[in-house]
Amino acid sequence: MANLINLQGNQACAMGAIAAGCRFYAGYPITPSSEIAETMARELPKVGGVFIQMEDEIASMGAVVGASMGGAKAMTATSGPGFSLKQENLGYACASEIPCVIINVMRGGPSTGMPTRPAQGDIMQARWGTHGDHPIIVLTPASVAECYTETIRAFELTERLRVPVIVLVDEVIGHLVETVDLEALAPKETIERRFATGPADGFEPYAVTDDMVPPFPRPGDGYRSHTTGLTHLPSGFPTQNPEKASAALLRTTDKLDLHADLIEACEIIECDNADIIIATIGISARAAQQAVTDLRAKGIKAGLFRPKTLWPFPEKRLKEVAKNAKIILVPEMNQGQLILEIERLMARHMPVIGLNKINGEAITPAEITAKVSEVLA
Amino acid sequence: MNISETQTPFDINDYIRLEQMPHFLCPGCGHGIALRALLWAIHELKIDKDKLAVVSGIGCSGRLSAYIDANTFHTTHGRPLAYATGMALARPDLHVIVITGDGDSLAIGGNHLIHACRRNLNMTCMMLNNEIYGMTGGQVSPTTSSNRYTTTTPEGNTEPVFDACALATAAGASFVGREVTMQVTGLKNLLRDGIEHHGFSFVEVISDCTEIYGRKNDLGMSPEMLLSQKATMRPDAYRNTVDVPFRPNALECGVLAKADRPEYGCATREKNARVQAKAEGK
Amino acid sequence: MDHFEVRFSGSGGQGLILSAKFLSAALVSDGYTVAQSQSYEPVSRGGLSRSDLVVSKGQAAFPLSQGLSFLLILDGAAAQASNDLLNRNSLVLVDSEQVPIPPTGDFNLVNLPFTKTARDLGNKRVANIVALSALVARSGMCSKETLETVVRTKTPPKFASLNIEAFTAGWHLV
Repeated sequence: MANLINLQGNQACAMGAIAAGCRFYAGYPITPSSEIAETMARELPKVGGVFIQMEDEIASMGAVVGASMGGAKAMTATSGPGFSLKQENLGYACASEIPCVIINVMRGGPSTGMPTRPAQGDIMQARWGTHGDHPIIVLTPASVAECYTETIRAFELTERLRVPVIVLVDEVIGHLVETVDLEALAPKETIERRFATGPADGFEPYAVTDDMVPPFPRPGDGYRSHTTGLTHLPSGFPTQNPEKASAALLRTTDKLDLHADLIEACEIIECDNADIIIATIGISARAAQQAVTDLRAKGIKAGLFRPKTLWPFPEKRLKEVAKNAKIILVPEMNQGQLILEIERLMARHMPVIGLNKINGEAITPAEITAKVSEVLA
Repeated sequence: MNISETQTPFDINDYIRLEQMPHFLCPGCGHGIALRALLWAIHELKIDKDKLAVVSGIGCSGRLSAYIDANTFHTTHGRPLAYATGMALARPDLHVIVITGDGDSLAIGGNHLIHACRRNLNMTCMMLNNEIYGMTGGQVSPTTSSNRYTTTTPEGNTEPVFDACALATAAGASFVGREVTMQVTGLKNLLRDGIEHHGFSFVEVISDCTEIYGRKNDLGMSPEMLLSQKATMRPDAYRNTVDVPFRPNALECGVLAKADRPEYGCATREKNARVQAKAEGK
Repeated sequence: MDHFEVRFSGSGGQGLILSAKFLSAALVSDGYTVAQSQSYEPVSRGGLSRSDLVVSKGQAAFPLSQGLSFLLILDGAAAQASNDLLNRNSLVLVDSEQVPIPPTGDFNLVNLPFTKTARDLGNKRVANIVALSALVARSGMCSKETLETVVRTKTPPKFASLNIEAFTAGWHLV
């Protein structure tokens, strides 16, 4: 018997986190993500977890990384202005391979922008927000159910791979309430971080292992290791030796290539014989899904390519799916960010055309069908 | 407390990572003295190194964590208190000690400091005050004395100085103390009392930057700088005496504030346990 | 009806989102899948506010309104805001007191005294429940019993009897 409830996207993110085993949350109030903090404040203590509202966005990211360094599954949530502030300590987590989940509910920007209005303007910031080359995983739910399941997947990936995972939600999906069956979506088991075991003597916290994910030395387990944001050796201590620095940095990014199959996820609808492929994320993908149905009804062969894992971008999948297409359309609520990646991959094979909207309203199915008709004419 | 009789003598080699020697501190730097005092206090308190978490920020002070044989975390500039807050809440079984500097905790990390004081989470924050940004080449800091020369105050500093202990006290820290590196035993005792204190303890250590600050301001080498600490400090025993023979405005040392306030971690865990029991009882 | 869209519009603080939540819960217990969205200004009280339901059998591809089957307008500020989404089949319920100049066009417009009815019950803040009840009575989108159960069970005890009175009064308005 289905146990259907009406749940909000932001709340679903919080419930997903708890289902995945998240037991620490630090945050700072910001529209339109505050319901995540509010839900965590209410629900975390019930399962033995800790919620804290910190003095600012920077501190909340620091506290999350600190809790995770202590061994806890930890998360924070924010929106544009706060996401900018979190980049510093997010970079630390990338450099020192500390698992953590950051939910960014995108609102209109830049700066204070339009706090209650949706946008998809942080696609590039999510990838390149912190300084320096760094590994990062970005997931993009497009429904309330996916807010739940993708937050769970975010924890699975971050704990398994020791790479920070960003869940990039737009305001529409974050505030959308949909009918879901959480019991049906709940994980059968949770993925746990691999903690270091065995002798402490000679233990190297960043040793090169087969899977390139070094076991995590939990404080109290006897390893007494050192963690730093300085570029470090397998021993954990800093180095400026050119060869060793290069090898250490490459391992953290090569790790993502090695585990590409685990990380990659996309939704592909009606792309097999499609002449035009619509590639997009979040609420824009929901509009595109409707548009595909409407266009097919009119005899236009359209398909949808939706990266659920936005970064690393599922480039092989897009190339496969689009190999017989004639045009790619990229609707997005910004001035053209996702399109840059798709142009990089596909522009030499076919025209890649953008549909952009930055007025604080979602792209509609009608706008997509109109654009397709215009492009095909 | 009298522990000396029951204890093995303190040997710093038991507490440092010898493989990380030689250290990177300049000759005459006071930070090494502070590190020694801290480890001595940890020894006297018989803290298990496996349960010791040392969290530091960025700057010369931030580098100290790497030399301690414990769980050590060299975090971002100004943020060690934020990291430590997360760690202490997630792992109440750990002894959390933060090492920070004057720029780290009073400038870029000022907000975290005042809120850590207010929150009163059980941890100790040792702030090494050498009045300068040493790591970046000697720029003015919030504690640089008036008229001192730094690379960013070529005509002398005109900004007022932060009194870190007054700030911590006003913000609600339940244990506040200050000591100079010249008084190693006093510093060790102060740190020991701070670590033993149940709540947030803030200890300011007046340390010397000989190579950059000292040279730039013609303050002499390490011995001269240490001696000048003596001229400007005011030991606890003389707290209530008139300024003579001390210099006017000499720094008060010792425990400057102590209050019995609810500790944040315990209060949170108690409250959460009630919520959890209620949730599970349903 | 396999797919229909409902909008509650007015100004912030009128309880529009609560009405939408009640209706949403009722529709789900009647076997529908609902997507509820809202749009509001960055103020807690006042400002244009609306909550939309996209109701379908199975999850709708696009969860936002594209053409309103039912529109409720409780404040003059919202009178013209939804015109682009109305068509000849749309049913528009307007508060006769709060919306002095109702929208005009090729759709079914009904003026009803939601606020007055609520005031007569002793609290004009239950106008949202009066309106919700009237909308359901008029449209038949779910049964009276289903909605009444939701109003009864999801209202805090302190306001339960008042909300049920509002529900009953609203039901008899049409």
